[in-house]
Amino acid sequence: MSVDQLILAILALPLLGAFFNGVFGKNLPNALVGSIATGVMFLSFVLTVIVFGSQSEEKIIHLFSVITTEDFSLNARIQVDALSIWMTLIVTGVGALIHLFSMGYMKKDEGYYKFFTYLNLFIFAMLILVLGSNYFMLFFGWEGVGICSYLLIGFHYSDAQKGMLNGIAARKAFIMNRIGDLGLLIGLFLILDQFGTLEYSELSVAMVIQANQPAVWVLFTITMCLFIGATGKSAQIPLFTWLPDAMAGPTPVSALIHAATMVTAGIFLVVRSNFFFELAPMTQEIMLYIGLVTSLVAAFIALRQNDIKKVLAYSTVSQLGLMFVALGMGAYTAAIFHVTTHAFFKALLFLGSGSVIHAMSDEQDIRKMGGLKKFIPITHLTFLIGTLAIAGFPFLSGFYSKDEILAHAVMHSSILYGFLMLSVALTAVYMFRLYFLVFHGNFRGSEETKNHLHESPWNMTIPLVVLAALSIFGGILNLPGIVFHSCKQWLSHYLNYNTDGLNLVETEHLSNYDSILLMSAAVALTMVILLVSFFYYVKKGILAKEDSAWKGWELASGNKLYFDEIYGFLFVKPIEGLAKISYQFLELMVLNKSINGLVGAISRSGLIVRKWQSGIIANYLFWMVLGIIGLVVYYLLKF
Amino acid sequence: MELLLAPLFFALLLAVVPKKFVRLAGIVGTLVILGITIGHVITFSPNNVVSVFNPNATTKFGLTFKMGYDGIGLFMVILTNALFPVILLSNFNRSIAHEKSFNAMVLIMQFAMTGLFLAMDGILFYVFWEMTLIPIFLILLWFGAPERKTILTKFFVYTFVGSLGMLLSLMALSGLTKDFSYESLLAIKLVPKSAFWIMSGFFLAFAIKIPVFPFHTWQPDTYTVAPVAGTMLLSALMLNMALFGMVKWMIPIAPEALNEMKFLIISLGIIGVVYAGVIAIKQQDIKRIFAYASISHVGLITAGILLFNTEALSAVFLQIANHSLVAIGLFLAAGILENRLNTRDINAMGGIAKIAPKFAFWFAVTAFASMAVPFTSGFVGEFLILKNLFSYHWVVGLIAGSTLVFGAIYTLRAYQLSMYGAPKISSFEDLKWNELAAFFLLSVGIVILGIYPQIVLDFVGPSLVKISKIR
Repeated sequence: MSVDQLILAILALPLLGAFFNGVFGKNLPNALVGSIATGVMFLSFVLTVIVFGSQSEEKIIHLFSVITTEDFSLNARIQVDALSIWMTLIVTGVGALIHLFSMGYMKKDEGYYKFFTYLNLFIFAMLILVLGSNYFMLFFGWEGVGICSYLLIGFHYSDAQKGMLNGIAARKAFIMNRIGDLGLLIGLFLILDQFGTLEYSELSVAMVIQANQPAVWVLFTITMCLFIGATGKSAQIPLFTWLPDAMAGPTPVSALIHAATMVTAGIFLVVRSNFFFELAPMTQEIMLYIGLVTSLVAAFIALRQNDIKKVLAYSTVSQLGLMFVALGMGAYTAAIFHVTTHAFFKALLFLGSGSVIHAMSDEQDIRKMGGLKKFIPITHLTFLIGTLAIAGFPFLSGFYSKDEILAHAVMHSSILYGFLMLSVALTAVYMFRLYFLVFHGNFRGSEETKNHLHESPWNMTIPLVVLAALSIFGGILNLPGIVFHSCKQWLSHYLNYNTDGLNLVETEHLSNYDSILLMSAAVALTMVILLVSFFYYVKKGILAKEDSAWKGWELASGNKLYFDEIYGFLFVKPIEGLAKISYQFLELMVLNKSINGLVGAISRSGLIVRKWQSGIIANYLFWMVLGIIGLVVYYLLKF
Repeated sequence: MELLLAPLFFALLLAVVPKKFVRLAGIVGTLVILGITIGHVITFSPNNVVSVFNPNATTKFGLTFKMGYDGIGLFMVILTNALFPVILLSNFNRSIAHEKSFNAMVLIMQFAMTGLFLAMDGILFYVFWEMTLIPIFLILLWFGAPERKTILTKFFVYTFVGSLGMLLSLMALSGLTKDFSYESLLAIKLVPKSAFWIMSGFFLAFAIKIPVFPFHTWQPDTYTVAPVAGTMLLSALMLNMALFGMVKWMIPIAPEALNEMKFLIISLGIIGVVYAGVIAIKQQDIKRIFAYASISHVGLITAGILLFNTEALSAVFLQIANHSLVAIGLFLAAGILENRLNTRDINAMGGIAKIAPKFAFWFAVTAFASMAVPFTSGFVGEFLILKNLFSYHWVVGLIAGSTLVFGAIYTLRAYQLSMYGAPKISSFEDLKWNELAAFFLLSVGIVILGIYPQIVLDFVGPSLVKISKIR
């Protein structure tokens, strides 16, 4: 098959899976439904590997034109290049593993077929997002993943206790994303106004080669609008509070959508638009600081969360912040590298937490866990690998990808480097806290839960093992050239190779000596935190405090820095108030009263309406109908 | 000519149909009419103007009786005639469907609306415009909720006064032209000041019917007391007449006033988008939420019309189709809830998704379409209108764009409060076959227009290119 056909098959398979399960799934056995959904994903992944292996040149496949007007056309087109294929590999690969995991995790769920329909549909939308050749396709997928995210966060909407809360979490996610989407949409309008096209390749040619650049402030506005879109989808300040709430969804959803794929769409958007951002230094600077602050704030909040999934959610926000720091420095491939390794280890950690929750009979509070390592050994081992990878333990994937961002930071400014190291340190602190509290010490849950503790079935542990292997070896993708010189910076070269504009971005690398110095510092930091945590939580056996015992900074961290309360006060309350005032005062008092008065006056004085008030309006109208019909018929006969 | 007279024929035929077969006869009638319309669509080439009736004579008042259609006229006819059977189908299981008078009025309305879309004469347009008021009024009067009396007075007087504005404008034109045929009216050159007043007269009639802020106060009340079928007719079909009237009559007759009126009407349109959107956020009555949602959506369409360029107008017609499909779907859902629970209060609902999964699914499809998500008919239309508003002025685009956010808030709130959570009621009958069929047909339309909107654009495009050159 040619690349064209392969790409179409990759796109069509998840859609067909969703369609088939959506229509027929209800009456089919769960095993079949799950196998179909998972099967199409693995097939899709294999086809992506084939395309990846064929190393074709950049290629645009025209499907059809959605709309053509006098000035421009919006096309359904696919762009095959290094970046889109790389993202497709992540989406289909990690997606397939999470589908497999879900087969075990969702086994007893009533909505089994619906779950897999939504998952497949999500993958389709996500593939449109990354494979499209223009911003319209991106926006199409962007909105599409938003809906799937909504449907999957609120998946258990009928739950007697939490149904409505799940729904509200889903709604919050959707609405916050929509605010970002509005920004993105305006960015698109500006691009259309300026360039008359939304195709990446044409835009990059216009910007970079023809140097047909708009005014500085226009470019600033465009990039800021795109970035606002990115803050919504990728959960950055100020639009990040939906992501922790999105943990209301089933755990595989958190792994797939809210860790590995959808939330990285914002990073993808910026990398795709590198030809804009590279020429808008102001936006880059803003992006850098937003990313940095988000990273620190989220890491700080994660320190005192006691819900295993909430810790991971804030961790995701924090890691996404790091990626935006990288983007702010123009280190696009470093950001994609971190997207990749993060997809591995964060999916692993979420699936691991799913396995824990599964074993714990749906308990998510880490204060009720403890000592789980001997009950669920495979989950324990893989979770440990995930923890070490994210904390930056030497030679695991997270170590390399973080190190690359840190290396860029050193070249940027030493203060930035300091703050990033702080973020890295906080990450290690909350992750080791989580790990030790869950897997070490004594079991703190109820006797009943304890008797029920069990390792997950094979279809849940295999994805864990595969992701663990990827988390260990993922760093090989972009080695800094110290270990194996021959495949040095492979990913950077691969991405620069044929992605619009990227090859024009200068990617600098530190000398070997400096790299080793930086790595040593990072390793030392991680090791110290690991030892201290071990001593603190295991040797001294210190446990997580109850909420009432929080003091000082712990109050701020535990209460999520009061972001929800502040937003409620600043935005939700005023809009609700406005809704009430508009209705009570403007609508009912001013507009309605005045019109009623007017109508009253007319109906008292008017002849026609007086007749109606005497009750024969129906007759009157009847005669009017007859009259008009008669008139028409008369003229028709006459001519 | 059969296009116009068929509804009248079936309306009269109903008089002799036995009561048992009335509801069937109604649907069959509208389907035959749809068949006739499809015949016209197949033979139509978008570049043409087809004359349906031309007596080549002028009566005393300058009435020429010319009738015909171009792309936009025929598009409105096929849209209307395709939706009439769906509306009858969705009400098939209700007692109203057995009423001879109801079916007759629906067909008379179809007659009047077809005439209105075909009219190539100002007086004829006005006559059909007034004629549509009668059947809808009678449907509301005969089958509406008990508290309808004062509300219907307001509705009738309000729309009647609006129509007077149009009549005055036509009378003002009578001295300037030999007859009222469309070509003669277009040929009139006006000084800006009189153009302003003439456009205002038309606008009053159209703004009330659509309705545009601040002329909307009859609408939520009327939609609420109307029987579901009446609400569908009003929201999905009748307001299209006004939107069509703005494109085909109001602006082309007085293009000299376009620049003057543009800012004013666009402002009213987008104020309506935000104002109605904000109010919908806190409403408890599900029909009222969707009524305000409709005001919000048509505000955007109205603003789009006044831009009066080909691209915006194309998007306008896409949005007209979208709004019709979505409005029928939403009011069908609201009607099902009201009918089975005897309440419209969303706080008294909840947990229905678990009891009636089919209803939950199709309601969700419609709700998502209302939010203009990808794969639904609103996506491209909203994108294009917002884009053009943004090009007109970025502040306008930004304010109108807030519909993305407000739309999500009120739609999801209404859906979740009624469908999610623990069931508050013990039983809720899932969709009947006719309701399912109606939802299905609407969704097919929504998805087709969502993926391939170009079919609408190809149809109306050439006419719009012509019409947008008039200014």
